[in-house]
This record gives sequence, C-alpha cells and structure tokens, in this order.
Amino acid sequence: MAKVYIYPGTSLILSDLVARFGHQPLGSALAVRERVQTPGLDSPPLQITPEDPKKGLRYAAVEVPSGVRGRMSLFGPQIEEAEAGIIISDADLSFGCMGCARTNELVQFLLHRRDIPLLELDYPCNDEEGVRFVAAIKEFLSSLPGGVST
Amino acid sequence: MTVPVRIALLGCGAEYSGVMPEIYEAARQVEAEVFYPDVTLADIRSAGKGFGLDVHSADLKLIIARAEALVTGRAEADAVFIATCFRCAEAAIVRNELRRYIHEASCLPVVSYSFTERTTSGTLLTRMEALVTIARRRALLARERQEGLTMGLDSGSATTKAIIMKDNEVIGTGWRPTTQVQQSADEVIALALEESGVRRSEIEAVGVTGYGRFLLGNAIGADLIQEELTVNSKGAVYLADRQHGFATVIDIGGMDNKAITVQDGIPGVFTMGGICAGASGRFLEMTAKRLGIDITELGPLAMKGTAKNVPMNSYCIVFGTQSLVNALAAGNTPADVAAAACHSVAEQVYEQQLQEVDIREPVIMVGGTSLISGLVHAMGELLQTEIVVPRYSQYIGAVGSALLASGFIRKE
Amino acid sequence: MSEAASAGGLPARPGVRPGTATKYVFVDSPDLTAADLALRAYEIAPAAQIKETCFGLMINGLEADVERLVKALRALDPDRIFVKDRGFPPGDERRCRANLGGARPGFYGHENEMRLIRYISSGLRALRDPKKADLLRAKPKKHDEPLSPDRLRELIEES
Repeated sequence: MAKVYIYPGTSLILSDLVARFGHQPLGSALAVRERVQTPGLDSPPLQITPEDPKKGLRYAAVEVPSGVRGRMSLFGPQIEEAEAGIIISDADLSFGCMGCARTNELVQFLLHRRDIPLLELDYPCNDEEGVRFVAAIKEFLSSLPGGVST
Repeated sequence: MTVPVRIALLGCGAEYSGVMPEIYEAARQVEAEVFYPDVTLADIRSAGKGFGLDVHSADLKLIIARAEALVTGRAEADAVFIATCFRCAEAAIVRNELRRYIHEASCLPVVSYSFTERTTSGTLLTRMEALVTIARRRALLARERQEGLTMGLDSGSATTKAIIMKDNEVIGTGWRPTTQVQQSADEVIALALEESGVRRSEIEAVGVTGYGRFLLGNAIGADLIQEELTVNSKGAVYLADRQHGFATVIDIGGMDNKAITVQDGIPGVFTMGGICAGASGRFLEMTAKRLGIDITELGPLAMKGTAKNVPMNSYCIVFGTQSLVNALAAGNTPADVAAAACHSVAEQVYEQQLQEVDIREPVIMVGGTSLISGLVHAMGELLQTEIVVPRYSQYIGAVGSALLASGFIRKE
Repeated sequence: MSEAASAGGLPARPGVRPGTATKYVFVDSPDLTAADLALRAYEIAPAAQIKETCFGLMINGLEADVERLVKALRALDPDRIFVKDRGFPPGDERRCRANLGGARPGFYGHENEMRLIRYISSGLRALRDPKKADLLRAKPKKHDEPLSPDRLRELIEES
C-alpha cells in the first residue's frame, strides 16, 4: 500500500478511487482531522493557529501571504510523506483548503520536484472520458508498490 | 437582549492564517455575529462572468458570489467585512473592487482589511465597532446639531482632548499630551471647564472616543462610548458644514491614520492604520525636533521649501529619519527638509491608504496634523484639490463626541 | 436533507477523540437513496454515529468500525457509492451550516464533483466489461506541442 497525495486534496473522486484500489489517499481531511483531534487546541474553525503559517515558512518565504503558508503547514508534510501523486489539472472549483490558486501552484510545483510517480489528468466530462479516467488511475495505482493489478 | 448585528464575512485565507478566532472575538465584543452569505455552486460558477472579474482562486470566486448575493438581496446582512491575506495581489484586486461594488450597489456599510497571522482582535475591534455603529445607530448618526450642554473627550494615542459645547457652539477646549489615560483626561476636562465657565455637574451628557475610550468612558460613566471612525467623520462634516452629500475625511494621527468616505454624515467606506511610522504624525514630530523647531513651526517652514529637492519617501520612521539627517548633512535647507517630510507623509498615506477609499470632494483633513499647513498643502497637491481644514479640526473626536452625546440628554 | 438540518441539536464538539474517524459515504444511484443507505448503516453498525447529508451519509466512530461499515455499505452498489475522509465529526459547530450562515467552502467542492460522479460510475463499470477494453487506456494529459516546421509545410501543401 502506497501513500498517494491527491490533488485537489479535497477530492471525493480521487480519495475514493485511491482507497478503492488499495492505497492510502493523503488529502486535506486527514491533515484537518489531525488538528481537530489535537487536545488543547482551540482555534476554530480549522484549529489552525497563528503558529501554523510560521510552520509554513518551511515551504514558502515570509513575504508569501499567511493563507498560503497556513495551507502549506497542512499539505507540506503530506507532500514530503507521499510515495506517489495524482493531480487533476483542471480542478478550478475546489474551495477551502484548495481555494487559493497560489497555494495550489506551489503544491503542484513541490509534487513535481519530488522524484515520485505522478499521474496528471483532467476531470472527465462524459462517459467515455470517465472510462479512460478511471482506467488510467487504476493502472497507475496498480503500478505502485502493493498495488492490485487485477 | 439586543439582536446582534449580522456582519457578512467575505474572507479569503482567514481560516488558514489562524485569525478567525480574532475575527469572531472582535465581533463578539461589539455584540455582532459573523456569518457567510449562502450561495449555490451555480452562483459561484457565474460569479466571475456577472461581476466581470475572472479570478483564479476559487475562494475569491466564492466571495464574489457572496457579494453578489448581498447586493441583489438574495442574502441579507447589516454590514460587510472583507478580509483577505496581506501581500496577495489577486485578493487585493478583489477586495478593492468588491468594496467599491458593495458600496455603490447597496446601502451596506463595508470595511476591508488585509490580515497577517499576527492580526489581533484588538486591531479589528474599532473597525467592527464602526460597522456595528453604522448598522445599529443610523438615527444617532443623523444628528446635525448639538443641543444642550455636552462634553466630548478624545483619549488619543498621542494627545487627549476635551470639548464643551452649548447650543451648537464650542465654549471650552482642553488639550494635553497623553501620559496616563485617566490623569490626562482629568487635566483636559479641568481646562475645558475653566474656559467654558461651567461646572462638571452642569454637563448633561458626555461622549468619549479614542484609544482610551473604554477605560475612560467606564470610569466617568460616559453616556456614549464610540470608536473614532464614526465620531470623527461625523465631527468633520459637522465642523466643515458639509453634512449632506459626499465628503472624504483624512485624519493622520500619532499612531494610525484614518481615511473615510462619508455620505450624508455616515461613513460608507473606511480604512484605518496599517502602515508604518514613516507615514504618521510621529515622523513630523521627529522632523521638527531634528530641525530644532516646535511642531507648530513645521508647517509654515515647509511652505517655504521645495519638497522635490530632498529625496524622502520611506514608510519607516528610521529610514525616513536617515534621509532627513543625510539631507541636512548634504546642505539642504531646513525649509526643503520640512517640505520633503510633509510630502513624504502625505505620499505614503496617499499610496497606502487613500487607494482603499473612494476620494469624494470635499476632502476634509482633521486631527492635530491638519494644523501643519505644509502637510495639508502636500496632500492637496497629491489629490489635486483644495483641502478643507475646519476650525477646531484638532479636536475632531471630542467635537464629534459632544455632538453625538446630545442624543443622550434625558429630557425631563 | 441538508447538513444543517441533520447537524442540529448536537452537543458541542463531539467525536473528536483520537482514534476515531469520520467518513462521507455518498451515493448517486436510481436504486438507492441516502435514506436507504442510512437504514442499512444502522442495521450493520448500530453503535456508529450516522448522519444524513445532501449527498449521502456521514459516519463517525472508531476507525476500525468505520472501515468495516464502509466496506459493507460499498458492497450495496460498488459503482455508485463513493467514500471520502472528513476532518470534522458530524455536526461539529465549527463546520455546521446552521452556525456559519452559509455552506462551508468544501460543500461546493463536493457539489462540483457530484455533478461528474456518474462518469466515474461508468468508468468503474467499464473495468469489468471486456468490450470496453480498447477504451480503458486513458491518454495522459496532453501538453500542446508547438507546430513543427515540417508539419506546417505539410499543411500548406495539403491546402
């Protein structure tokens, strides 16, 4: 089983397919859950405190907006941990965690810079594209360590 | 229990900067509640097209859709708070255009702010309080004449001021540098009472504004404790006799600056603070000190000089002072240096803050710095307009407080 | 049923203890509604916290229990049931529409993907269909190559 970073990190489709084909999706929900379950933190709504944008300095300089650095404190460690990644390139309507275009550019850049298998595709717009989309993801995931090739 | 004022939050990045608790806390302190106007995905998908600004960040598309919902009445609010990340160019464009759009297309008071992870509820409080005042106290702000015998106090960061008014006339003034909030207030009250010849017990209502308003207002049992954005704009249009129509109020203070677009005496769009000491009254004080003159002499001296002879344009008071020292060492005249300092402060305010409001004439300058003629001249040149400086402009907060306090006189 | 309606009346911040998990189980099927799914979920795991949402369910409980429940629910209609982790437990007031006034941003992302989910269902069905074998190779994302001089010459000659 491989840890697969999904982009957008909020994607239901990618989260489902990665888990369905036997791997662990790394996305926004897990990063948020970790904070929500940390005892003693009380910084609603996302339990992100002013310390998090400072942690984000590991990925982006101080002149980068705090919202980018705060998001990077969620995604940066997951990108470092990822053994593979799937990127949906036209994910323009992803909000919240993936709602900042500048952060999203940085996330994709960091994924490309890591020497890990990456699959990039667009959202399907019809049945035929859906068939190809799912098949490509399955084939990609099957090629990863612990992947199921059937 | 009063119904909370509902402030629509149009925010991008706040949840990820750790500042949401600060926004909630500032709202709680002024008995307001912050909420997200509800929209649909279809609204968001069409938002860029309808508004005409097709941005890349989805959360900015979302706030554009939320703004459209407010303007068209699909979502209801009492006021709007636009908050986006400091240093984000994409968000800055959206923030400014939405502020303008909401102001022009609705009667909702709106304030915009760019935050960092260091933003605190204290910084946001005055802005939230102003939004709540405008939403809740329109009737109070509609007052155009001072009635009875009232006192206004302005407990500012640099100076404390008192004004006593009777039947629409100023009859007593008091001014002191702020040391301790209560002690400075006691001194200016004594001065104003002495000048007006009335006793403290005769005052029918008291209004307090400025940084020390809560401490002071509670200590003396003030009838009105009000932030300086609404009070100063009210005082400015009252003193300048521009109570109807549009006006712009600029107050370059000791610790922060305010720029307010006013319509019929009620602030519509405003910005406050946010820039460094190189753009404050403090820098002019330092300049006067370095030139060996009293602050009251700086303006007339600047009027004799030529600003462009001295390069000086720093946000930072340290770098600004460095330019000043270098200019004097290079043989520039004190008059040119004084003019350059005035121009530098005006330019920083113009570039950093006045872009955030819609400049509508007449432009009224108030606060202590409005007495520095060189600064007023520099601002007038930048804005290409004749700046209005009304009588008692340095007492603006105190006058506004005394005026608004009239509404609290208990009729027997 | 909206998330707001389903989230109402819960005590503050339940289900946040470490070792628990929350998952969305979304369904897009003419044969199975969110209410059907909820009924089956209650039968399979009476101890789990189950809430209906706009697109299906949220389930919360110990991680192993949630996994078991998800597996059983998926089996009801594998091509048309989709599962995703959620950071917050159901009804958490920090994310509840009833407290926020409007939907949290993530809701719109779900709404957007649910518009496309039938194509994913088609893709999953096709995996078992030998007749679709030719279609199953998805092309990787195309990066437009600039037109080569040779190809341009060909095009001019053809015209």
